[in-house]
Amino acid sequence: MKVLSYLGIGVFVALFVVFVFLGVYGRNYKRGDLKKMDEWSIGGRHFSVWVVWFLVGADLYTAYTFIAIPSSVFAVGSIYFYAVPYVALTFGIAMWAMPKLWKISKEKGYVTGADFIKGYSKSRLLAVLVAIVGIVAELPYIALQIVGMLSVLTVMFHGISNITIVTDLALILSFVILAAFTFMNGLRGATFTAIFKDAIILLSVAIVVIIVVAHSDLSAAFTTLSGNTKYFHVLPIDFNAYWSLFLMSALALYLYPHAITGSLSAKNRKVLRTSQSLLPLYGVGLAFLALFGIMVYSNSSAMTFLGTFASASRGTYVVPALILYTLPSWLAGFAFLGIFIGGLVPASIMAISQANLLTSNIVKEFKPDLNPARETIIAKIASVVFIFIAVGFIFLFPLTYSVQLQLLGGIIILQTLPALFLGLVTNKLYKHSLSAGLIVGLGFAIYFMEVANHFSTWKTTLIATNSELGPFFIGLFALIANLIVVGIGTLVYRYVSKGSELAPKKAETSATAQVK
Amino acid sequence: MKKTSLIVLVSVLTLIPFVGLLIVPGYSKTSPEIGGLPFFYWYQILWLFLATILFGSAAVIWNRSEEGD
Repeated sequence: MKVLSYLGIGVFVALFVVFVFLGVYGRNYKRGDLKKMDEWSIGGRHFSVWVVWFLVGADLYTAYTFIAIPSSVFAVGSIYFYAVPYVALTFGIAMWAMPKLWKISKEKGYVTGADFIKGYSKSRLLAVLVAIVGIVAELPYIALQIVGMLSVLTVMFHGISNITIVTDLALILSFVILAAFTFMNGLRGATFTAIFKDAIILLSVAIVVIIVVAHSDLSAAFTTLSGNTKYFHVLPIDFNAYWSLFLMSALALYLYPHAITGSLSAKNRKVLRTSQSLLPLYGVGLAFLALFGIMVYSNSSAMTFLGTFASASRGTYVVPALILYTLPSWLAGFAFLGIFIGGLVPASIMAISQANLLTSNIVKEFKPDLNPARETIIAKIASVVFIFIAVGFIFLFPLTYSVQLQLLGGIIILQTLPALFLGLVTNKLYKHSLSAGLIVGLGFAIYFMEVANHFSTWKTTLIATNSELGPFFIGLFALIANLIVVGIGTLVYRYVSKGSELAPKKAETSATAQVK
Repeated sequence: MKKTSLIVLVSVLTLIPFVGLLIVPGYSKTSPEIGGLPFFYWYQILWLFLATILFGSAAVIWNRSEEGD
């Protein structure tokens, strides 16, 4: 069985040290007062155009891209290629929604989506609900990033002891590194290192894709899978599952607090729009990484390596295994670092946006006189606590199906769509119906998850329908339930308030008349 | 350009990739293959390029029509 050579490990460790050093140095980059929360969270908005572009692009090459999608394509088939149309379309939605949110936020000084909601709806309840939902939705997404970090370490430590010990060690190390990195750096560090991270990642993707594709026999892989149609295209029964997966994911991405934070840190609205419109191109690397889940079938030594893991976790090691068996060890060490920090930086950014929501939209809501120094301490400690809670989500689904963690986060965050995105278009929706819709949507989401998984261990986010329509992504149904409540609630409110609005007006006229 | 026709143009440019990718039954098939890659896969990869061009044009047109930043 092949292991990463000392040279490969040396490259990994040396570059990681440089990376951490840059994170520490990054705190001095355009120095601001780090004790102030908005400085710590979105870097005081000093970032230049390119830094913003890297920050947004950095969100795309994460454990989702490197580990979760190839894993699911490997284990299940082409339905998990949904990640490609998702990436193609999400930026089309972003370029409409985010510049508008940016403009309003700039005028009013908003830092989070919940700030915006509180501003237009005048509902503290709705803003606090959206903040809580944002925090919860990030948890499984962070868990997925930790899965990415731990799968790289597991492959690096493979063979030094039995697999259980190696996996536990990898998990503990991933957690400690992530927590320390987040606590020490804040987004300023994470963003500054994102430039270095993106350089490493884009290089890794290019090198890995070119070398693995050159060494793989795609036709042979498909021949191995011939007769297994679900690896060639989506089966007719899954058509509705496919479009609902990618369309809902595309709608969900820019509702996440970390994505909003990233967009709001742009300097200029037009640059934000242009850079977002050009991001689908980033998806090409993702498409090839997804295809690794198929190419690996033609690499017998990588398949033997994967055979040493139980099928419940095997898929997560597809990309690391292909790297280990096709790249020279020093390059493999480099690419492993790319995947590792591709989990670390996004997880850190997500935890910081959770902490930011907690302090500015929940704690301050009840204790407005919180002093800035204390606020920063609460945020720093909270970010580590959130990372710790996220670890608990890791084993919610078998590791091979860790993409479900991202989909679960998507189902949850989608319930904030009416309050956030519809709030950009209209302020005529009744605020309490938005709150009610959000709660009903979440209730339906949990209920559908339970039904879809037969009230047992969660394995899927697709729910079967009793017809030839086949399964659908649960996020779609939960969102529809949410929107129905918002619609009916608003109509009822308008009908009722029309009646009551007339009454005081009459009283007013008569009062004026009396004065006359 | 008039404001309404501008909105229509930008909307259409944005919507084309959605249509191209939402017609799942239209592209969920194996042939024609390119270099051993089934149609299903390369069709969607092609849309990554097309979406970049279409969204990019929409963004540029939109930005030019607006004043300020």
